[in-house]
Amino acid sequence: MVHGPARLTVETIDDILERVLVQQEASVDLRDVRSIDPCALLLLNLLVLEARERRIAVRFDWPQRADVRAWMRGMGFFEQVGSSIASPTNAAGGTLQPIAEIDDEAGIGRVVDGFHRRLAERYPLTESSRRTLIAILIELFQNIPHHSNATGAVDDPHGLAAMQDDDGAITVAIADKGIGLCGSLGLRPGYEGISDAGALDAILRDGISRFADAGRGGELQRIVGVVRSWDGEFVLRSGSARLYFDERGGDIVDVPAFPGVQLAIRIPLRHFDVGPVDP
Amino acid sequence: MTTMHVEEFRIAQFGTRLGTRLEGERARAELESLIESLPEEGQVRLLLDGLEVLSTSFADELVGKTYQRVVDGGFGDRTMVLDAPALELAEGVDVKLAQRKLAMLCLHDGRWRLIGFHTPALAETLALILEKRHTTARELADELGLQMSASVNRVARLADLRLVRRRKIGMKGPQDIYALDSILGG
Repeated sequence: MVHGPARLTVETIDDILERVLVQQEASVDLRDVRSIDPCALLLLNLLVLEARERRIAVRFDWPQRADVRAWMRGMGFFEQVGSSIASPTNAAGGTLQPIAEIDDEAGIGRVVDGFHRRLAERYPLTESSRRTLIAILIELFQNIPHHSNATGAVDDPHGLAAMQDDDGAITVAIADKGIGLCGSLGLRPGYEGISDAGALDAILRDGISRFADAGRGGELQRIVGVVRSWDGEFVLRSGSARLYFDERGGDIVDVPAFPGVQLAIRIPLRHFDVGPVDP
Repeated sequence: MTTMHVEEFRIAQFGTRLGTRLEGERARAELESLIESLPEEGQVRLLLDGLEVLSTSFADELVGKTYQRVVDGGFGDRTMVLDAPALELAEGVDVKLAQRKLAMLCLHDGRWRLIGFHTPALAETLALILEKRHTTARELADELGLQMSASVNRVARLADLRLVRRRKIGMKGPQDIYALDSILGG
């Protein structure tokens, strides 16, 4: 049995990913989990789907804390993973934007509008912040249909996105379990067989894309620049590599392999003018 | 002096928050039809008014790719310029043009400026051509204090980028003599 940590984050979830997918543990005990970050929630969602697709029989005991369960329910997590778990409350647990599915490029405008509406309801965005954030959402969301199944190797990359605020920041998380950055970039001549860490570096540092067209690529590189200029946090996990940075610095580290790309940006609330709008 | 045929193309007709590459590709089909319908030396003025967001992907798919075709001669002598009420809205276009090593004239606050990939020297030369409307490489060399070869090189680059019109009007020794016209009309 795997015991979940008190704080389930994009970092602390690694042990669970490895023990379910590699060691095929039969049970994951998350009952003592007291908080979950949005990216970890999407990873957990994809882990349940991945285990199911690989026919790994694993039982999940969900968090017992009422507020955590209510938040997961409000985020649509239990619906996503097909669990009919009862929640002790009907409250949405302070959710900002529940998990949305990103299936194809044609539906992205609708998803972006939904995120924008939710954000505007709670925060008085400045014109500049709104423009920048929406442009970022468009670029991040369309990466899923553009890249997650570029080889046609997966049945369904399960593109997901969610957004959550807390006392200090707004976090946007995007995740899929497609072919990953190296699978996509590896399609470009000269980049065949590139490693996960190598692909992360080429895409984020050099702005390389799988497309040879001069106008393609560079979007993630620019988003990294915006997040840095906002003193925000950025995490991108793909395959067996994870990049993290905040205002103090960052690095690429090796992590247990998991399919696809999972990304989160955390933007300090001061960039959205002030605190939440009074109801 | 000729009157140039200018048509406006309002990008906000496709929505106020744009968008994905797919949306840009659809819009491009309409823009290209408009350019093709223009007479030779006609011009499309892309209007950014009414837009809230213009993503870099949409900008590249609509403006970057179309402008690449303009510069490559795919639309004959027709040209394209941008009209941006807020420079922030033109950022995506600026970024993608720079990535494609292209430059475009953009009207903001009543003033024309270059966006995309360019150098101060190129911008200086273009500004003088726009001011004079009609000139020659020799005249530019004199006014900018340049060697003739430097002036000719700058003019050639501006002509390649479809930022000026260049007509050969004769030869002096081994060197072609060109008349230069602003693309902003007479």
